[in-house]
Amino acid sequence: MEPPKIWRERREKYLALGILCHECKKKSFPITQYCPYCSSENIVELKLAQTGKILHFTRVSQTAEEMMFYAPYIIGLVELDDGIKVTGQITDNKLEKLSEGTKVRMVFRVLSKNGEEGLIGYGFKFVPI
Amino acid sequence: MSKREVYVIGYGITKFGEHYELNPSTNASQALSKAIQDAKINKDQIQSLYFGSLVSNRNSQSYIGAEATRECNLNIPVTKIDVGNASGAGAFHQAFLAIKSGLLDCIAVLGTEKLSDFVNSSTIEKILGGTLDYQWEFEQGATVTSLYAWMTQAHMKEFNTTMEQLASVPVKNHANGVNNPIAQFRREISLKRFLDAKRISDPIGRFDPATYCDGSAAVVIASKEFVENHSEIEKKVKVISSAQSSDKIALHHRETLSSLLATQIASKKAYEMAQISSKDISIAEVHDSYPIGEILAIENLGFFQKGDGGGATIEGKTQINSEISVNTSGGLKARGDPFGATGIAQIIEIVQQMRREADQRQVDDIKYGLTQNVMGTGASVLINIFSNMEDDK
Repeated sequence: MEPPKIWRERREKYLALGILCHECKKKSFPITQYCPYCSSENIVELKLAQTGKILHFTRVSQTAEEMMFYAPYIIGLVELDDGIKVTGQITDNKLEKLSEGTKVRMVFRVLSKNGEEGLIGYGFKFVPI
Repeated sequence: MSKREVYVIGYGITKFGEHYELNPSTNASQALSKAIQDAKINKDQIQSLYFGSLVSNRNSQSYIGAEATRECNLNIPVTKIDVGNASGAGAFHQAFLAIKSGLLDCIAVLGTEKLSDFVNSSTIEKILGGTLDYQWEFEQGATVTSLYAWMTQAHMKEFNTTMEQLASVPVKNHANGVNNPIAQFRREISLKRFLDAKRISDPIGRFDPATYCDGSAAVVIASKEFVENHSEIEKKVKVISSAQSSDKIALHHRETLSSLLATQIASKKAYEMAQISSKDISIAEVHDSYPIGEILAIENLGFFQKGDGGGATIEGKTQINSEISVNTSGGLKARGDPFGATGIAQIIEIVQQMRREADQRQVDDIKYGLTQNVMGTGASVLINIFSNMEDDK
């Protein structure tokens, strides 16, 4: 990953921020300059709910080189308690122990490593509660 | 809307598979020159080349369209159309619009991909990541296969679609592919083999995804006026509609995972433009990159009720010469999937069927034919409809 990209996305990725629209009152993720529902600029940053439940999950064994060090890993579609859905890895657990509806909480982890000397990409993953 | 009529007057396609001995440009120009020869016209009559490719122009490949025109000695405009892995159909759609507009009369459309140059499959996974929400799906760890796994899970849960029903899609397509000379895999695979295979992204098994490969496909399309003024043109197939639609790129932003909204919207537009309904379609080439892809397609295109796609497939309703002949070519699964070439290869199968050149996979009675090409997990869908009716010839 490129340094400007990591820097630019630090708030969304490290703090898990979305937006709340004051016009239509809808929440969305990721951060945009306008509300993706009503196009209003009257928006504020919103901290995503830190817990939620798994809607879908499966195993990933082949992906980009910089993410292969954890493979095979579990990728899940998580519905957070504030209603926002996000895609994230389900970590610290085994596939067999998970099921649809498993409660999870957000954790801050390493996502990618660009070789021995490259930058490390961080972001959020989920662990079962 | 413009009343101008558009015809496919020639096609060319290479054998799909792994061609380590071929340059990307050689592979592309083979299909292009075959298409021009098949159209029987003088190549100077071609006014423009639209080409579609996911990989061309990046990852150490040069701009294949420009190289192909040099190898065919054409000094015409070359434009790359990018709709991710559906770029072939994207290029065809833009060429269709250009002829409809009245500004151009004869255009070559090329879809090409040279994927065997990337021996590390992580490289291709990363390229395909660009057909997803790269930042919030791919960089979070999702891949095309894992996202299709969620879509499969959603369909299984909502409609009780079974593993046997899902596996019957590639079983049928491999059986069809046996009779397609350009298919990468010309052999049947049993239902048991699909079911017993190791799960790579549950419920998707080892043999379920279509394989990435090399391949090029080209067509020459022209206006009715052009066809009437060129008596050397022997065969033509009428394109009666071409439509495109999009959906939210990330699955986490969609309302449902058990339908492709872009297919529903694009097919509605395509049927309206063609002034026909889904019941009039006799043959269809749909995007079966995963078994669920074909099931979603035949439901969202209106061939079968929502939720009935799996049952219809296992009951044989989509086999050659049944209710509707789906993926007579073998689909992406048996033919192989060179991303940009796939959309054009689908069109060529319909053209071959309508010209009655499909040999052992020939469908007897064809009224209308349809192609459906999908980008990523459904962020963009392109649909074309072709007519075989006497009035339209």
